[in-house]
Amino acid sequence: MRLTEDTRLAVKYCEALGVDEAEAFAQNVQTSEVVIERAEIQNERVKTQCGIGIRVIKKKKLGFAFTSVLSKESIEQTCRNANSLANVSLPNPDWVSLPTAAKLPRTPAGTFDPETADMNANDVLKLTMKAYNGAKARDNRVTIDDGKFSVVRGEAAIANSHGMEAHGKDTLLSGYLICVANDKGEVSSMSIESDVARSLKDFSPKRIGEVAAERAVASLGPKAVTSFTGRVLLDYDVAAEILLQPVVASVNADNIQRGRSLWAGKLGEEVASKKLTVVDDGLMPKGIGSSSFDAEGVPCQKTQVIKAGKLDGFLHNSYTANKEKRKSTGNASREGYNVLPRISASNLVVKAGKKKLDDLIAEVDKGIIVRRFSGNVRTDSGEFSGIAKQASYIEKGEIRYSLKETMISGNAFQALKNIVEIGSETRPTIFQAYVPPVLVDEVNVVSK
Amino acid sequence: MIKDLLEKSLRNSHGYVEMRYHKRDTFSVSVKDGNIDTLNSGSIAGVCSRVLLDGSFGFSSTTIVEKENMDKMLKDAYSLAKISRAKKKRRVTLAKTKPAKDKYETSVKVDPRKADKQELVRSVIDTDKEVRAFSKSIVSDTVILEIIDDELLFVSSEGAEITQRIVRCRGNVTAIAREKGNIASAMESIGEQRGLEMLKKTPLIDVGKTAAERATKLVKVKTAPGGTYPVILENRLVGLLAHEAVGHCSEADVVYGGSFLADKMGKKVASEEVTLVDDGRFPNGFGTMKYDDEGTPTQKTVVIEKGVTRSFLHSRETAKQFKVAPTGNARAWNFEFDPIIRMRNTYIEPRRYTLEELAEDIKEGFFLKGGLSGQADFTGEFMFGTQEAVRIKNGRFGESLRGVTISGNAFEVLKNTDAIGSDFIMRTGMCGKEQVNYVGMGGGSLRTKLLLGGMR
Repeated sequence: MRLTEDTRLAVKYCEALGVDEAEAFAQNVQTSEVVIERAEIQNERVKTQCGIGIRVIKKKKLGFAFTSVLSKESIEQTCRNANSLANVSLPNPDWVSLPTAAKLPRTPAGTFDPETADMNANDVLKLTMKAYNGAKARDNRVTIDDGKFSVVRGEAAIANSHGMEAHGKDTLLSGYLICVANDKGEVSSMSIESDVARSLKDFSPKRIGEVAAERAVASLGPKAVTSFTGRVLLDYDVAAEILLQPVVASVNADNIQRGRSLWAGKLGEEVASKKLTVVDDGLMPKGIGSSSFDAEGVPCQKTQVIKAGKLDGFLHNSYTANKEKRKSTGNASREGYNVLPRISASNLVVKAGKKKLDDLIAEVDKGIIVRRFSGNVRTDSGEFSGIAKQASYIEKGEIRYSLKETMISGNAFQALKNIVEIGSETRPTIFQAYVPPVLVDEVNVVSK
Repeated sequence: MIKDLLEKSLRNSHGYVEMRYHKRDTFSVSVKDGNIDTLNSGSIAGVCSRVLLDGSFGFSSTTIVEKENMDKMLKDAYSLAKISRAKKKRRVTLAKTKPAKDKYETSVKVDPRKADKQELVRSVIDTDKEVRAFSKSIVSDTVILEIIDDELLFVSSEGAEITQRIVRCRGNVTAIAREKGNIASAMESIGEQRGLEMLKKTPLIDVGKTAAERATKLVKVKTAPGGTYPVILENRLVGLLAHEAVGHCSEADVVYGGSFLADKMGKKVASEEVTLVDDGRFPNGFGTMKYDDEGTPTQKTVVIEKGVTRSFLHSRETAKQFKVAPTGNARAWNFEFDPIIRMRNTYIEPRRYTLEELAEDIKEGFFLKGGLSGQADFTGEFMFGTQEAVRIKNGRFGESLRGVTISGNAFEVLKNTDAIGSDFIMRTGMCGKEQVNYVGMGGGSLRTKLLLGGMR
């Protein structure tokens, strides 16, 4: 409970300095990771990251300071630094208060796995080799370009001057592998496969290797298509990046309040196809973003965001909630102790549809499937354009061949309305979004 | 004191050992829509050790800079080197370098450590005001000023002892415009390795105006069309091309993995117009250091000279493999990471043309401006986003459209580069390659042919 004591010490010391409100967030993160580069185990690392971030408010003026040294002297000095920054800051008329103490829900099941917490660097190396061998065994034309496997044990404590205190521990395993296939002098495009889980038994490194290898081989012998506008099947990660990333930005209450979201003032309106339902569930068992409390110590909850295509709710932290005199949705998040809390989704879950990937492919008369996207998504305006990597041409319900240098472009907000079908298999992707493959119509497919 | 601690640990070591201490002090202020959003100061410090035992590296780091923890850290590094050895096919040996005992410090006229914080806050507030007052369609903005002050210490069992202090300042403005249900954002940034005098050279307000002007303009217009066109890449984008698309292919670890340049040493890979350099000592460059994180002195490395491949970028490990001298490109983001091959300040040398001259021979094409993030494969295939596309018709600049992602093979783009402008600019960037790092990227505007992934 050392971290809890550190946060208490900081809050008390700040109060003695004469601030109106104080909050301390302390963290200790232990990481073991293995890096693969150029087809070889390049490095292994163990790291310890710990530190404390102290936020103070004085006459509605904000100051924040952090340190990686958790000694009494260092914490006190950091409190003084935060205090002196608050002195030179400007009052924010919108400031109301830090969150008050609230009863926390039970810690979501499966967010801390003792077996994972006990893993050492050698165990991570074994996981990595499973993935590596999985890829090698699948096809001898495959080489592994790079990859990374890590196990993280995290511990965090928060306290503030309103008597709020929270403490939690969690574990996370993650890994990815990038493969290319070489066949008679031809080099395929890079394929990537990843996985993330809270516990060892839910993590499947061998499958990462196998899928990455299969995809690399499948992308050999690419052909070009002529440009068209039509159906594009977005695989998990691509759907998350192109479709869900703008959703996350648009339901962020801070963006709403600042006029940065096109969905401001549109609650209850239709913003997507009726097939789309999205929930942010901070309490989901085993969820990679699950916790009983958020980065400000506010209870996490389940918030409906899009219900059958209609905009149903926004994500708040205590600042944006106070501005509207409502309750925070527990979506404060911080990348680390060294930054102030922002708003982000916890587990953004897209409700699965009924069709498997093959059935979705069968729905396409002429179109493409995109398994990796290398491009830009403007989350505010929804414009996206980029290269469809690991893409294949679909004709009459069947995958015909892999694609050469093809770009896709469109507008995510339009695409949300043009959703034809949502797949039945959901999995965790980037942006802490649980997304199935999504079939979208009227996307521009541009080639040379 | 830390040096004594590190050297004490070194005394009990075997094999090759290097230890780094890194303290990063940051100060940042950001203002959103007239209110202070963050006002932060902080310090993160830690040490790491990398050992090389029987051809196998082990790496470990900690933020607890005390004797007991450092002993454990070193023990961890040894045990990692041992357990991973069996799994590694290649045995690492390092190219020789002369162990340096030296000091380097960014030349700083206005030291950020002594800065009046209130004055810095005011400069950000003033910029925010200007941006929001620029036009009626600006609905929101963010202005950020950040100072990064690094203290680095490198010691090795070979006897190196290098102290460096590197000060970087950067500013960033995002302006968001809304009009008739449309939204457009624009970003602009400045940054240099120098003290706060940077703000006098290029005031943050000018940066803010550029962003506000662009957002105001783009909220009214459509997206550029898709297809292959002759284009002029603005100088601000040329650095991205040099870095993302070409530079990465010249990193020796990527070369070893079979990059486009792997079998092209001494061969023509670009038009004669193109000379591409990665310079570790570019004055005030964001990626400038006197020594890299393996203690190798940095240098100006000419990668492509008049279209011909001349050198790759090396660490001590790859230099030994390739039988050349290390180029000082081994860099680590902080003490949590081992050094890997990274670029420093990468640029395409300017030539003699003006923008008007570059446009002259284009019948129908685009002048692409303002960078967004980019990526590249080691085959030279790249993509990056652009903010604005100005139409060129019969040699004349026309209306502005929203920019789109551009892509192609970098070496085809460089082969098609038939003219380069004199408008050289060096900018800052953040490069991600398993770990991030500060880099410089630069060049003059150039004319070439590209695939635009626009709307049909």
